[in-house]
Amino acid sequence: MSTFFQYVVEGLTIGSFYALVALGYTMVYGIIRLINFAHGDLFMVGAFVGWTALTMLAAQHLPWALALVAAFAASMAFTGVLGIAIERLAYQPLLRAPRLSILITALGISLALENGVLLIYGAGFNTYPHLLSQAGLVLYGVRFTFAQIGIVAASFALMFALYFFVHHTFVGTAMRALAIDQDAARLMGIDVERLIQLTFLLGSMLAAAAGVMEGLYYTQINFFMGFVLGLRAFTAAVLGGIGNIPGAMAGGILIGLLEAFGAGYVSSQWTDVFVFAVLIGVLVVKPTGLFGERVVERM
Amino acid sequence: MSQTATPALSSRRACFLLVALAPLVVAAAALPAFAGNYLIDVGLTIVTYSILGLGLNIVVGYAGLLDLGYAAFFAIGAYTTALLETLLHFSFWETLPFSFLFAGASGVVIGYPTLRLRSDYLAIVTLGFGEIVRIIATNLEITGGPNGIYGIASPGLFGYEISSPRAVYELGLAFLACVLVFAVRLGGSRLGRAWASIREDESAAEAVGVPTLRTKLLAYVMGALIGGLGGSLFAARFGAIDPTGFTYLQSVTILIIVVLGGRGSIPGVLLGAAIVAGLPEMLRFLNLWRIFGFAVALVVLMLLRPQGLWPAALRRVAPSVSDAAAIDTPAPGKARAGTGATLLEVRGMERRFGGVRAVGGISFTVTDSEILSIIGPNGAGKTTVFNCLTGVIRLTGGEVRWLGASLAFGSPHRIVHRGIARTFQGIRLFASMTAFENVLVGMDHRYKAPLVAELLALPFARTETADHMADGLRWLGFVGLRARAGERAADLPYGDQRRLEIARALVSRPRLLLLDEPAAGMNPTEKRELMGLIRRIRDSGVTILLIEHDMMLVMGVSDRIIVMDHGVVIAEGKPGEIQADRRVIDAYLGTGESDEADGGAGGERSLWDS
Amino acid sequence: MIARKDGACRANGVLRLATIALASACVVLAGLAPGSAQSQNTIKIGVPVPLSGSYASAGTDIVNGAKLAAAKVNAAGGVMGKQIELVPEDDACDAQTAVQAAQKLVDAGVAAVVGGYCSSAALPELTVFHRAGIPYVLDASTNPKLTEMGWDNVFRTIGRDDEQGPFAAGFMKNSLHAKRAAVINDNTTYSKGLAQNTVAALKKNGVDVVYDEAVTPGQLDYSPTLTKIASLKPDVVYYTGYFSEAGLMVKEARQLDLKAKFMGGDATNDPTLLSTAGPAANGMIITTAPLAQFLSGAHGYVDEYTKAYGQGPGPYSVYEYDAVGVTAKAIVDAKSDKPADIAAALHKIKNYRGTTGEIGFNEKGDRSHSVYITVIVRDNAFRPYQELDASGHWVAMK
Repeated sequence: MSTFFQYVVEGLTIGSFYALVALGYTMVYGIIRLINFAHGDLFMVGAFVGWTALTMLAAQHLPWALALVAAFAASMAFTGVLGIAIERLAYQPLLRAPRLSILITALGISLALENGVLLIYGAGFNTYPHLLSQAGLVLYGVRFTFAQIGIVAASFALMFALYFFVHHTFVGTAMRALAIDQDAARLMGIDVERLIQLTFLLGSMLAAAAGVMEGLYYTQINFFMGFVLGLRAFTAAVLGGIGNIPGAMAGGILIGLLEAFGAGYVSSQWTDVFVFAVLIGVLVVKPTGLFGERVVERM
Repeated sequence: MSQTATPALSSRRACFLLVALAPLVVAAAALPAFAGNYLIDVGLTIVTYSILGLGLNIVVGYAGLLDLGYAAFFAIGAYTTALLETLLHFSFWETLPFSFLFAGASGVVIGYPTLRLRSDYLAIVTLGFGEIVRIIATNLEITGGPNGIYGIASPGLFGYEISSPRAVYELGLAFLACVLVFAVRLGGSRLGRAWASIREDESAAEAVGVPTLRTKLLAYVMGALIGGLGGSLFAARFGAIDPTGFTYLQSVTILIIVVLGGRGSIPGVLLGAAIVAGLPEMLRFLNLWRIFGFAVALVVLMLLRPQGLWPAALRRVAPSVSDAAAIDTPAPGKARAGTGATLLEVRGMERRFGGVRAVGGISFTVTDSEILSIIGPNGAGKTTVFNCLTGVIRLTGGEVRWLGASLAFGSPHRIVHRGIARTFQGIRLFASMTAFENVLVGMDHRYKAPLVAELLALPFARTETADHMADGLRWLGFVGLRARAGERAADLPYGDQRRLEIARALVSRPRLLLLDEPAAGMNPTEKRELMGLIRRIRDSGVTILLIEHDMMLVMGVSDRIIVMDHGVVIAEGKPGEIQADRRVIDAYLGTGESDEADGGAGGERSLWDS
Repeated sequence: MIARKDGACRANGVLRLATIALASACVVLAGLAPGSAQSQNTIKIGVPVPLSGSYASAGTDIVNGAKLAAAKVNAAGGVMGKQIELVPEDDACDAQTAVQAAQKLVDAGVAAVVGGYCSSAALPELTVFHRAGIPYVLDASTNPKLTEMGWDNVFRTIGRDDEQGPFAAGFMKNSLHAKRAAVINDNTTYSKGLAQNTVAALKKNGVDVVYDEAVTPGQLDYSPTLTKIASLKPDVVYYTGYFSEAGLMVKEARQLDLKAKFMGGDATNDPTLLSTAGPAANGMIITTAPLAQFLSGAHGYVDEYTKAYGQGPGPYSVYEYDAVGVTAKAIVDAKSDKPADIAAALHKIKNYRGTTGEIGFNEKGDRSHSVYITVIVRDNAFRPYQELDASGHWVAMK
């Protein structure tokens, strides 16, 4: 039985990362109906910027708490701005173009980000300094570290902050209006372009935070690390109902748990098959995902 | 009667294409004669990608379904050929039918769950299937696991072994030629039309008789067949296959080819294949910068030309001038007296939306050759009745009988096949198609010749197509649009668009035609013409059920009227009776006098003034 | 879509023609680029390795080793009076790119090919070279399949997976005295091959294999798999995949307090594993072909490499160094620069003194004396651990 809860703990940890990245996918999709394939790579860029910041700060001998905060701030700021830059340069001109074109552009940006980081940092693996202690607890045979609790708690905190922002602030409400009907929102005086950029900013910042957390927790980063995680996070966003923020959170956690149970009870070589099979099953029954809304067509 | 050529090609454009492409075609075929093995290998990669691109083009370009897992079909074709050759010692040619069979079957398996999904959910599901196929191939012993299968024998032809790069290249070109012809014929066939109509407006397509689910499934199957062929060619070329050739990135590469070249455009796909296969080779000198360079080039190309490098020419299916002039306009079908038989019987029809009873238990009948109108204030439930009758939404209570049989649980296209057609409150034409093509879509379900016959251009299929086209022109003439047959529906003036919608509904030869506010937005002259058209339709043997707000039209044309309010029938009878009915006046009509002294500008206006 | 005016149509048509012309020119130029005639005073040797993508660092390392070897040969006067010219080509570890790379080398008129890294690229390349009759000396591809095709143009300076597997199994049984073993692979050709060979040998040795499955590479968290394995209580866990996943695994295993001894195959042999896992890696044992740093005869090579490239050599460059050296010797023996003659001469080589030891090829082209050792991680560094002595006993290495 304790093995079962061990899987739950592991699944929550894994799922937190997926959820954070899935939020970015879902927000961008909700606003401009784009599957931003480059999003997983923003996660990777966030991890690398954090690494660079920590490496530079290590020479300054700062207390590590301060260095961490600085790394997070630097990474989120840089990646957020990068997200806005990509939106303005590559996506904005294509918003009225056929949908497939912007999708391919996103793919191109993804490739460019991966290979750009490859050129700058090399193809090898970089390692974060080992800042998180391995100390932990064993409760009823279930083993978890304080770092894990910290990761999960931090992720949930970020997610709820986003949820609060979107549902209880004026700007957030404007974003939701934009997602429902862009033209009507424009007519109401909402600055659509600004809000789209804000969406990208928030999504990228979340991804960067996830990237730095990943670097701290797993310590290994590489130019290709956004690929598998991005794919699973995207699956999570769709599973929850793409465009739906609580759905992305739930989807991320769910995929993390599925991965853990799949590896534990079935077999790790069938994990992806298992996850996709569940996804397809859910979509057959609920074509718009777990929390997705049915778009009613007026005939 | 001449048949129009492929919709995208007028003869002038066809000439241009031939002139531009002929030297390329000759060069491609003659490549082995003067090029080194390296160039031929690149050429073979381009050929393989072209085949795959054409296949994906059917799914993404023609049918508009976003498929991110196309490599699955490619893998199934390759593994089928590999396994049958190595385990059962089939010859390459013997494996091809099985390759088609399994790939096609997987098209059904992959397509079926995705039919009802919106396009972006489609993306992840197809991606998932692609990964599932690859992982299964990697994990099973019989497919060789991650090692894959090697030792695949080369194809033989009349004793000659096709193993050198040159020979395989020629084989690939032959396959490509077949696929090209298939893709072109498909685009111009009724299936191509059906896909285009689904892309434009899926619900409208369904409502004019296109079996949308089956049509979308066929897109997957056709795409899968071609993917399977590409896979078999791939296996024959390398003699060894392994799962790393069928990754998600491979699917994405093929999608890039289609979009970069121009979605739906055949020359575009070929060009895209040449660039995607050739550009990285050209950029070899960049080494580590190679893929980065390719990525940047891709983004720039998309920003500069989002519609693709060689976008598909806009569809323009029009009758040739001589045809249009030759057909004369008497009403198709003979005028006949009504038989008095009950065609449609509605008993206690109810439709709830949550707690709201949009239609709360109504009953009425429709007899042969009558014009029955349904009137009532907005929100009374009139269009909901239409939607229930045509299968767009399901009844939550009550029963509908058509020609004696129950009408429950039919999908809209089946109901069209059974003889009920409709138009829409907001015009739902296939906007970028011509008037002529709009009408053709409405008729396509009446084809008796199978699709294969049409693709092969067999004589009886060609005759039937010609007859259909003549018929379509006649109906266009019936509504007065014969002269504008070749114009795009979106370019037509509003009144003509309404008439086109009616023509499109009529060509399926319904016994009952449902018209939903056909006079909306028309001026009085147009309304009088519409009244004449409605009578002509009835005289040709079609019963009409009409929703309208214009009382002059309703009273002038109807045999009977039903009045609805808040989901129930409040009155029923002849026009004169309805005009006098107190409840109807209170609920809806109002009286002829104005309430205010200032000429009625401020007070309630009566519908008599519209 | 907006209806286009006629002038725009014509411009559109011109643009299309221009694009076709450009595309065709690109393809043709790409094909004509490499010279097809053998240059008069160099002998070309092709080096197909991944130079782009995730494995680019391994490919670059191999090319560096080849360059050192070629420089040494050329400084001594070259072969048959001509200088050796290396022709590196990127195979991107992908079958289609590899075939094109190989074809380019054939068209460039190489006399022999020395290189290769990914087995999935090496096999298609080998097929092309076989058809052209050009010998291919592999330095890093350990998949047995490559020399089992029955072809006479393939050679290896590196060992095979079906040699490393029994070696690892023997170590687990006889040195670690393990009774229960778990073997994990990453479902790639090399990794699965090594795993299968190890499992077969373990079973023959009477060790209970409690886990024999694959994980998905590219993930970050293998805790669920390790939890499952922990519940099966093995004495040793052997991971046959690459260093990136191994580092994560050994760290997560420590976190879960997995009691078994953690081991890795030769692809886990990389400093990244040490930096990722930190202290958790201490005690991990790796089976590997000898690293240059541990070979008694290779200290000179390590110094030379570090001086030339500013960092230490990776695991395979020294095998490439020897492969180029033995090929040069074969050319001298054959007194010819024709590929067929070179291949025949390579087959005759029985004891070439290479930096990695004595090299000779058996009838399949495999290296007849391949050696494996075990290294252990101590104080965050790889240190030689144990090897098999002549009588089959496990002894500590110097």
